Amino acid sequence: MKIVIASGKGGVGKSMLASSLCMLLAQKNKIVAIDADVDAPNLHLWLGEGENWDQTKEISVLEKAVIDKPKCNLCGKCVEICAFGAIEIVSGKPKVNEFFCEGCGACEVVCPQKAISLKKVKNAQIRVKNNVFGFSLVSAQLYPGETGSGKIVDQLKVEAAKFDREIMILDSPAGIGCPVIAALNGSDLAVLITEPTPSGLTDLKRVLKVVNHFKIPWRVVVNKWDINRPKTKKIIKWANNNFLGKISYDQKIFQAIANLEPILTTDLPAKAEILKIYRQLVELIK
Amino acid sequence: MAKLEKIAITGGKGGVGKSTVAILLANKLIKKGKKVVLLDLDVECPNDYLLLGQKLKRSVKKIYARFPKLNKEKCTQCGLCARNCRSQAIFMPPKGYPLFVHELCSSCGLCWHLCPRGAIEIGKKVIGQVFKSKVDNNFWLITGRSVGVVDETGPIVTKTREYGEKLAQKLKADYLLIDTAVGLHCGVIRALIGVDLAMAVTEPTPLGAHDLELILALLRKLKIRAKIIINQVDLGKERLIKGIAEKAGVSIKYRIPYSKKIVGAYCRGKLREVNSW
Repeated sequence: MKIVIASGKGGVGKSMLASSLCMLLAQKNKIVAIDADVDAPNLHLWLGEGENWDQTKEISVLEKAVIDKPKCNLCGKCVEICAFGAIEIVSGKPKVNEFFCEGCGACEVVCPQKAISLKKVKNAQIRVKNNVFGFSLVSAQLYPGETGSGKIVDQLKVEAAKFDREIMILDSPAGIGCPVIAALNGSDLAVLITEPTPSGLTDLKRVLKVVNHFKIPWRVVVNKWDINRPKTKKIIKWANNNFLGKISYDQKIFQAIANLEPILTTDLPAKAEILKIYRQLVELIK
Repeated sequence: MAKLEKIAITGGKGGVGKSTVAILLANKLIKKGKKVVLLDLDVECPNDYLLLGQKLKRSVKKIYARFPKLNKEKCTQCGLCARNCRSQAIFMPPKGYPLFVHELCSSCGLCWHLCPRGAIEIGKKVIGQVFKSKVDNNFWLITGRSVGVVDETGPIVTKTREYGEKLAQKLKADYLLIDTAVGLHCGVIRALIGVDLAMAVTEPTPLGAHDLELILALLRKLKIRAKIIINQVDLGKERLIKGIAEKAGVSIKYRIPYSKKIVGAYCRGKLREVNSW
């Protein structure tokens, strides 16, 4: 069973909820967690961990064009074919803009001089941490300046599947683009978390388009529900049977995370609210 | 004539207040008599229009992706297209016509370029829209937004930016403020490349510090001058951010305290009215 925590908007509580649900589910189930926010992974911090990983390995999910300059006769065919504007001829020399190259290989095929080849680039590190809560976290860090987040998420899913656990929890990144699509594709349930603000609800509806595209059942959690009660009421009404629970606003959550304290190890009201959400979720996946 | 200054507002982490800061900065500049174009390049989840109480009505520009379309009458089933597609988006069944898998296609155009019979035609589908809103006399908002389920949102960022930059030149604007998406991915890189200055917005928590370090590394790689803005500075541990700033040699430009006034204006789409923090 694969459960994704997603939201569209960033900073509405995905990792807080995902970390808590993982800790609770791990008490009775065999689980594995994925931090699919490979651009800016934070799930390990919510679990009270630093950067001390049990295993790390570099991966390569992309290739980039490299031009053998002495062979190039400046015909410009590569510049013409490149759909991404990644090749230019600058003062008599061909130049690949590594930030724009998507590794499609069109330039390699059209080059009459065979001066272009594609080379693998190391674009991320995959890390595993077996934590004190009895489950493993599989996470990745995209190297700054590299691309391919979606393909890295695919790779994380392959790595996590090797643990052969009953439940896989995926903490999705913000947005609705390739890494979010990669996280949602093939999952069994999406828990969508939002906050009662105009942007929270708008972005929830945008991520829901992707969820519906894959025909994934979904539920909604409203975080900071009490900062705007009328809006929360509207969201609950809109979500109807898909409403799963709510968590109140508490500046102490901000302070707990400033001290790297997982919410479930505190006595904050949010703890009881998350427990309630967990029980509803257990009923749902039974 | 003064040069258009391009400033990006970015930050790595979500929900730290990038959009809020972008609008507060715009307000500040307009108050000084400057003309500002704000470009919302968080094309997956653009929100600046909501914070400014605007509606996105008719788009001023549509953004298309190209995809291959087969003309069976011309196709000889030679398989050249499938053999050369690195995205593995063309499937060649035995004794059949090639099948194009749109979800995997990067729109690189190699297949229709190579086809010796001209059997692959270029189809177009809308993947994004650009919206223009005049907020007031010296303040325009340009929003880019993806349409439906789009894997590759980078091209939407590039096209929206081209539109916004042209408009800013035409209007003789003093500032182009670029609000980026979260993260470090290609959409963020395309929004950042070539700006004069990037403001990295963060919050005083280990999460904020972690993601700030990443975005500063990206800015260094892109050779972009950076400054830091700490939002909700009084709620967490500011020294975490100071540590990162010192290590990276980047200065802290603004420290914004938690403010009920800002949160309220954010919720009601009235951030244009907030002139101080």
